[in-house]
Amino acid sequence: MSIRQPYGWLVVFLSIWIVKTFAPLYAQGDSIALQPVTVVGFAPERFMAGLKVQRIDPATLQQFRFQNLSDLLAFNTPLAFKNYGPGQLNTVSFRGTSSSHTAVLWNGININQPNLGQTDFSTLPVAGFDRLSVQYGSSASMVGTDAVGGSLLLESGNIQPEGLRAQIGRQQSSFGNQQTQVGANYGKKFNENLRFSGKTLVYDGRMNNRYPESQRKGYFIEPSESAQRGLVQDLILQGKKERQLSAHFWLTGNEIILAPENLSSRELTRTQSSRSMIQYQTPSWTWRTAWVRDLIDFGRGDFKNLEHTSTDRYLTRLEKEMEWRLGRAGSPLDVRVGAEVAHYRTRVDGYVDPLITENRVDLFVMSRWQASPRWLLSATLRQAFVTRFDPPITPSLGTEYRLITRPDFILTAKGSVSRSYRVPTLNERYWLNLGNPYIRPESGFNKEVGLESKRQLSRLEQLTISLTAYHNRVDDWTYWNPERNYRVENLQLVVARGLEAMAKWHATHGAWQTGTSLGYSLTRTSQERLYDAYAADVVGKQLIYVPMHQGNLNAFAQRGTMRLTAQLRGVTRSYYTFDNSRYLPGFVLLNVLAEKTWQLDAWQLQAQAQVNNVFDALYLNVKRNAMPGRTISINLVLVYNSKSQ
Amino acid sequence: MKKQFLKVAGGILLISALVSCREKVPDPEMYELGVIVRNAGNYLDNNGSISFFRREQSTAENDLFFTQNGRSLTGSVQGYTEAGSSSLILVDNSTAGQDKVEIVSRGNFQSLATIGTPDIENPRFALEVSATKAYVSCWGATGDFSNFFKNPGYVAVVDLKTNKVTKKIEVPKGAERMIRIGNEIYVGAIGGTENLTIIDGATDAVKRSVKVGISPDPIAIDANGKLWLQSDKSMVRFNTQSGTVEATLLVGTHPVKTPSKFAISPDGRSFYYVYSFYDSDDGFKQKGETYRFSIDDTSIKADKPVINRLFSGLGVDPLQGLIYGGVTPTFKQSGYVVRYRPDGSVVDSIRVDISPSELMFK
Repeated sequence: MSIRQPYGWLVVFLSIWIVKTFAPLYAQGDSIALQPVTVVGFAPERFMAGLKVQRIDPATLQQFRFQNLSDLLAFNTPLAFKNYGPGQLNTVSFRGTSSSHTAVLWNGININQPNLGQTDFSTLPVAGFDRLSVQYGSSASMVGTDAVGGSLLLESGNIQPEGLRAQIGRQQSSFGNQQTQVGANYGKKFNENLRFSGKTLVYDGRMNNRYPESQRKGYFIEPSESAQRGLVQDLILQGKKERQLSAHFWLTGNEIILAPENLSSRELTRTQSSRSMIQYQTPSWTWRTAWVRDLIDFGRGDFKNLEHTSTDRYLTRLEKEMEWRLGRAGSPLDVRVGAEVAHYRTRVDGYVDPLITENRVDLFVMSRWQASPRWLLSATLRQAFVTRFDPPITPSLGTEYRLITRPDFILTAKGSVSRSYRVPTLNERYWLNLGNPYIRPESGFNKEVGLESKRQLSRLEQLTISLTAYHNRVDDWTYWNPERNYRVENLQLVVARGLEAMAKWHATHGAWQTGTSLGYSLTRTSQERLYDAYAADVVGKQLIYVPMHQGNLNAFAQRGTMRLTAQLRGVTRSYYTFDNSRYLPGFVLLNVLAEKTWQLDAWQLQAQAQVNNVFDALYLNVKRNAMPGRTISINLVLVYNSKSQ
Repeated sequence: MKKQFLKVAGGILLISALVSCREKVPDPEMYELGVIVRNAGNYLDNNGSISFFRREQSTAENDLFFTQNGRSLTGSVQGYTEAGSSSLILVDNSTAGQDKVEIVSRGNFQSLATIGTPDIENPRFALEVSATKAYVSCWGATGDFSNFFKNPGYVAVVDLKTNKVTKKIEVPKGAERMIRIGNEIYVGAIGGTENLTIIDGATDAVKRSVKVGISPDPIAIDANGKLWLQSDKSMVRFNTQSGTVEATLLVGTHPVKTPSKFAISPDGRSFYYVYSFYDSDDGFKQKGETYRFSIDDTSIKADKPVINRLFSGLGVDPLQGLIYGGVTPTFKQSGYVVRYRPDGSVVDSIRVDISPSELMFK
């Protein structure tokens, strides 16, 4: 691998990962090779046989480096977002579930805000992590609570090569919006047995949102200002026999002010998270200890009296992996056992007590048996224990079978059945009056089957297609019941079923590289229980904020260090009333990007011109305000690489 | 033969021209002679609307403003009032600075004008003062919950010829419901203010204010010409001739129930109202019934419900005498208007939009 890559340092170490992960022949960008995959990364992924895992390629991460995670996911996955406006609360619906049914993991620990049990994706910039996998379907037995619709796995990078790579990046966008990123990656090899590397990144973004108009086609554009600031710090020390000690920190703060010019009624929401963890890994042991603090402040007017939410989590987890060779063929059986202990401390103005503490323990065993070269099986089991709450035992079974194994064609059939659970949010249990200390666990049961084919059309052309069908039934679905003044109850039965199709084609023609990925999803999700007279109007209706059809298309063409990309996303209407009487209209968004890199000695300049919402399409957020129209950004990144020729 | 052809062709041309003309000009009587329903909507979804149905129909036309203008009202609908040849729709957006009054042509909902902030902030009620003038009561820009009525409220004077706010008449805290008696406009108050403000409709200036009780809110004039107001949990009978309170009657004796949604009967001799509470022993479920009292009653007992359920809006049709109750199953699904005979028996129910809160009979 030469350093003269088109995407700078990020690609450098991500491609190292790819080289390790995939075959050397197709190590560029988003190629996939047909050799068996050994994933270097978060362990549970290896035990997710039968489930679909989509790894987002480094080029995509690089293109979205100045945007939030939701922007990336919206254009690359069938996840649906419920957005309150630019810079405002943005939550996910994964496979037709609610915003608290997606586990978001950072280096293996769940970072969903525990009071709300969900993640506000406007607070997670893509710059904050180095690797991203999207895992579809229930995986609560592997990753723990919240993984009912699926999970998002965010991870820091691995050990870096020697040298210093410093970079400064700046984005300048329409409406007076801007972002700056300054950082460095550094590595040092002391001797054969000791290597050190690290990453430091600071980001600072400001959305002034100075829109030229106050309305678009009769819909208001809500006046708002937001700021996002953060620090990412990774330190890795690698010793002999693959022993590794690492420390990871991610401090991030977001501030959004609505109607900033209205001094008596303006509204402030400030979200701050400090995440820190230490990890020690050997080939068979993993030990993690983390402290996560989440703060939310909300206020109006002069912001003197802020409503305050503060939650601390201390957790530690120990995992041990063992491998046996079974039978004469020596088929490997891997078993990973682990335990996690967590202590929660939360202070919220509206809770039953000023300080509430609780403890949680998770015990799990995951197994993976490569029964034959064609046949992979996995089984996992998890039991969580929570103060004042009784989660169910959660098993899962998955399998993958290679129907066709030819040098140029692999066809794999997959299947999985799993139970899922969700520890109710702190709000659901501890809000004075509205919360419900007697809330029961939701009971989820997910089944899915899929086909995945990888085809080498020629030496320079590759096609990957996957097709998945799922059925996820969640009983005792918690519901903030308006009949009881929004008290939370285990009232509903939600059945989500759907289809997902993805195709990815990659080809090289002479100096040109081209690639296209296409995704389509059908999501039919509905409440099925008749619990009161007027629920008859609601039974069987599509859940709110979940479009029935979604599609995305990404296409790029690259020659040398020049790359052109088009990102297209289309969604059909999403209802916002339970009886589907009202809806937010569907829309199509197109983004185009042109990128070019120049290299001079150790210096590299990456330039990116980006036009989002090229068609200037009108689309609405949850508050039925118009989202911004066409947005133009210029992104410049200057990189210094001490190892460059 | 040729002549006949020309006649026929000319006739067809004439008719088609007339038809096309008629199509261009909407029927001004489109939404006359029927029932207008104000659907407040879900505050955070900004989706209030106006529905209409004729009395003989059992289906409603929903979101008239959108149907006629191809754009949405973009807020909860706080009020609907007809004034002169216009109708005023008061729109309260969940974000400060996005409130407005949509002025439409009365009867066909074609948009005439939009008045936004800072002229209109947190609009509450509109009142026809004359064929060319309307008042819109507002809370003004509010503060946080430690000092919600941070700024004085006001009554905005709307000139219906130019569709502009010509004056703001300041009142303490927030202005609420209004009633016109002769050329005087009685403006209700909120936030603990005990005075009723009386404005001269000719000069648009405050004439005087009268102490009535906590947050006095004018409801209606009865058959005897007396003004009835709600003040906290009581009804107040006010003599507008003498400018004095004649009686203050506590509604019911229930420790936690509160009265709301007062609607006067067509004869002006009784009031219907909802008496409700959130039951803390039953998961804070809202419970309550609909009662009636006579203007001659010396106490309001609230012991025999007329209809054994509560409503989000209440009205009595002066034409047929039926009681109309708005039902809001949740703020995330369509509501209903249920019609009752005066004896409390159900006639039918009509699906409308979200949170039917007020009924107007035409």
